[in-house]
Amino acid sequence: MLICKVVKPLVSTNRIPDFEHKHLQVVLDGSTQKVAVDAVGCIPGDWVICVGSSAAREAAGSKSYPSDLTIVGIIDHWDPDAGKASVKSETIAVSESAANTEIAPSSQSAAPISAAQSPALGSNGGGKI
Amino acid sequence: MEIMQVAGSLVCTQRVPGLAHMNLRVLRTSKGKLSVAVDPVGAAVGNWVFTASGSAARFACGNPEVHTDLTIGGIIDFWEPDG
Repeated sequence: MLICKVVKPLVSTNRIPDFEHKHLQVVLDGSTQKVAVDAVGCIPGDWVICVGSSAAREAAGSKSYPSDLTIVGIIDHWDPDAGKASVKSETIAVSESAANTEIAPSSQSAAPISAAQSPALGSNGGGKI
Repeated sequence: MEIMQVAGSLVCTQRVPGLAHMNLRVLRTSKGKLSVAVDPVGAAVGNWVFTASGSAARFACGNPEVHTDLTIGGIIDFWEPDG
C-alpha cells in the first residue's frame, strides 16, 4: 500500500457510468500525481493510505468496480521527512531488541506510525522480533 | 489511475477478436510516454483524461471480456499539466 498526500478533488462529469458517484481525488505519491477513488471522505492536505490492484476494486465498492487505486485510510499523524528518519531509528531499535529481548518497547522511537497501529507494523511494538 | 492527454486515435483493423469493436486512442503522459487505451467515453484529441490500468481496465470498458490493460475512465473538466 502507498502513503500519499491528497492534492485536490478531480472533477470529471463526462465519465463512464461504472464509477457511479464516488469522489475522485488527485493524490501525490512521492513526486508522481495519481488519481484515487475516495472511499473514506478525505480533504486536500490529508496524508492517506492508498491500495492498488484487485483490493482497490473491492475497497471502492464491488469486485467489478473499475478502480486500480483507492484511498482506504486517513493517517492521524504523519511527518513526511520523519518517515525516513523513523525507518532508520526503528531498525536500530529492532537490532537492540534482538540482542536483549527485555528492552523497552520501540514505541518510544521517533514518529510513531499511529494509523490505529496497523497490524502489519504493530507486531514490532511488542519487541518480540 | 493516471492522468494523460489524448494524442490521437488509432485505427487498427487487423486485431484479435478480444478487442471487440472498441475505439482506440493514443495517450501521452505529462512525461511524454505514449500508450494506447480503449476509449468508452469518446474523448477528443487534446482532452485530458484519467485512465484505469490493469484488470480494472477490463471492468472499466463495460465488458470484462475485452482484452485491455488501459481504459479511459473519463474526461477531466479542467486540468493544468503541471497543476
